[in-house]
Amino acid sequence: MATRVVTVDRNQKPGVLPILRGLQITLANFLRSLFLRQASTVSYPEQKRPVSSRYRGIHILTEREDGTPKCVACFMCATVCPAECIYIESGERPEKTIEKYPTRFEIDLLRCVYCGFCVDACPEEAIIMSRENDLVGTTRAELIIDRDRLMARGKVVEHGPGYRPQEHDVRRPVRIAALERLKSEHGIVPGMPAPKTPRG
Amino acid sequence: MPKCTIDGKEIEVKPGTTVLQAALDNGIHLQYFCWHPDLPVDGNCRTCMIEVEKMPKLQIACNTVVAEGMVVHTKSAKAHEAQRTALEFLLINHPIDCPVCDQAGECYLQDNYMRYGLYDSKIELEEKVHKRKVVDLGPIMLDAERCVLCSRCLRFEDKVTGTNSLQFVSRGDHTSISTFDGRKIEHEYAGNLADVCPVGALLSTDFRFKMRVWFLKEHQSVCPGCSTGCNIYVDERDGSVERLRSRRNPDVNKSWLCDPGRALYKQIDVTERVSGARVRGAGGWAGVTVSEALDRVAEALKSAGAASAFLATPQGTNEDLFVFKTLADSVGGKLDFRVGDPQLKVRQMLDNVLQHVDRNPNTQGCLDQALGRDGVDAILAACRAGSVKALVLQGPELLRVPEAVDAIAKVPFVAAMATHEGPELDRATVVLPASMWAEVSGTFTNYQRRVQRLDVAVPPPGDAQPRWELAAGVLSRLGKALTAASPREVFGLVARATPGYEGLDYRALAYMGVALQPPAGAGDAAQEARA
Repeated sequence: MATRVVTVDRNQKPGVLPILRGLQITLANFLRSLFLRQASTVSYPEQKRPVSSRYRGIHILTEREDGTPKCVACFMCATVCPAECIYIESGERPEKTIEKYPTRFEIDLLRCVYCGFCVDACPEEAIIMSRENDLVGTTRAELIIDRDRLMARGKVVEHGPGYRPQEHDVRRPVRIAALERLKSEHGIVPGMPAPKTPRG
Repeated sequence: MPKCTIDGKEIEVKPGTTVLQAALDNGIHLQYFCWHPDLPVDGNCRTCMIEVEKMPKLQIACNTVVAEGMVVHTKSAKAHEAQRTALEFLLINHPIDCPVCDQAGECYLQDNYMRYGLYDSKIELEEKVHKRKVVDLGPIMLDAERCVLCSRCLRFEDKVTGTNSLQFVSRGDHTSISTFDGRKIEHEYAGNLADVCPVGALLSTDFRFKMRVWFLKEHQSVCPGCSTGCNIYVDERDGSVERLRSRRNPDVNKSWLCDPGRALYKQIDVTERVSGARVRGAGGWAGVTVSEALDRVAEALKSAGAASAFLATPQGTNEDLFVFKTLADSVGGKLDFRVGDPQLKVRQMLDNVLQHVDRNPNTQGCLDQALGRDGVDAILAACRAGSVKALVLQGPELLRVPEAVDAIAKVPFVAAMATHEGPELDRATVVLPASMWAEVSGTFTNYQRRVQRLDVAVPPPGDAQPRWELAAGVLSRLGKALTAASPREVFGLVARATPGYEGLDYRALAYMGVALQPPAGAGDAAQEARA
């Protein structure tokens, strides 16, 4: 890279003008947000920034048509998980074609690094990710979420599903309980939240 | 000794060796399903196809005996294509339900698909022939869809147990294995069916859905169930034993293990284990540290001197027995181990497959170290006469004998090393927590007089210690500390002190063990029937 020599005029007289020139961008933003209401910040949590449709937020366990988990407790996600945050215990299902399901399925959300490997490894699209990214709890224990909470997470309504790379590969349709409920009760099909943030 | 060339590698083998055996012994990989080292050759899966020069057609490696000057190609285009095609045939009706199959991770179909297959299936899942799934055969779960019809299980039932409870039924695509009229498998070797099955058709009911096998860590060990001393793997995850598997040793158990032996892991990880020492005082039991309890034992032995008696347990390793004997000799006490007369049953077969009547793993070790010295009855008589002031038990066997209760009650001090809690322990004065076989390193001597090594698989519960360490602790408190500080060093002392064990080295025992001169009377009828 060629070296560029910048000559600074050390003899410049102090005054208001150089200061204003230095604050040019700050002042422009200040005036724009003051008079035109075009702020770069958002009023979180009332307002949220839009996230990508492949966003890797808190996990969702998907369901079969009859409302049981799609998961067959194959332990692929627990095997691939670099944070070792998934705990599964398996049990026997009465259907001989399915055989196995998780009696316990817990994810330690504080340990999870949200890499999405579990979603990639899943052969059934039984685990996908949502766009939910605000994780709040008053104890550690309540952030280890169990199978039923993973299957019916009300907040999914607000955010919509995120990372699910195998959506078009898997033959059977996937149901997400909360999305279904929203559709049947309110007639809303949530997609990506419309960007309401007034960005300049 | 015929010489042959396999994939450009010159190999000399024993006459009668098959090409498959020769290849596997020399690190050349060949896929196979129906061949098993301890079962007769069947040659039905056709997956081990090889090209032999000057032979017009491809041969199956498992049934081709090596001839002088034979030149074999296992990886030529022709052979590889045949191997791939044979594998594709096996997978035609396979349900590919690996996610729910317990065999996943140790499945021949999976492994060989990764090596030879890697094609897209030509048969849609819906078009496959559907067979019976989740059939409960008692200790075994049958899934006929996953079966590759290799007939290993049939040959096992035919040649090893002679029970013939499994058979092929139907024809063509619809062939499947089944028991007659859905009967359960009732013999005591059913676990081996799950082991011999190369795929997930026969799986253990006990291990069903318990664990994916790739989480398990294997430790080489010896089954403590009877005097046979079958070689096993202890499969453990995070300090909890999940299953026992047979480990091949052609001279002891071949590839087999009995179901009672397989179930022994259930004794380890239970809440009724003795995890701390306790001493009985005026106000009942009081928990103490192991060190304090050993102090009490040493005090009692010091004051009792020769008026003491020691009972070893054939459940202990050779190291346990040696240190215990050293302790008994140091105070000059009486010594024996023959509670329930195991020495009479050590070579008596329970069936004609593996099991012996003697349910102790190391009775032969006790005999070799001459622990049967004063006689159990004589010791009990001395107890009744009041001439025994301290009784040290290496295991709780004697406490369980109803006829011994009154004799033990006469002894003022009874110390017992115990692994499991039980009502009999209330007859002791001091209870010392002992580790079990999966928690110690050491050696067992089996009925053939083969010295075999076991390794630590899991940590012991609480304060429990190996029996030899407990005895060594008492010895050092008596001022006669042992010069050895590890099982290997103690074994060195055992080898020096025991007739017939001279020159044995702990490391040289490796994992197959070393056979010593068989004891007199080993060639009885039961042994010959087995051979």
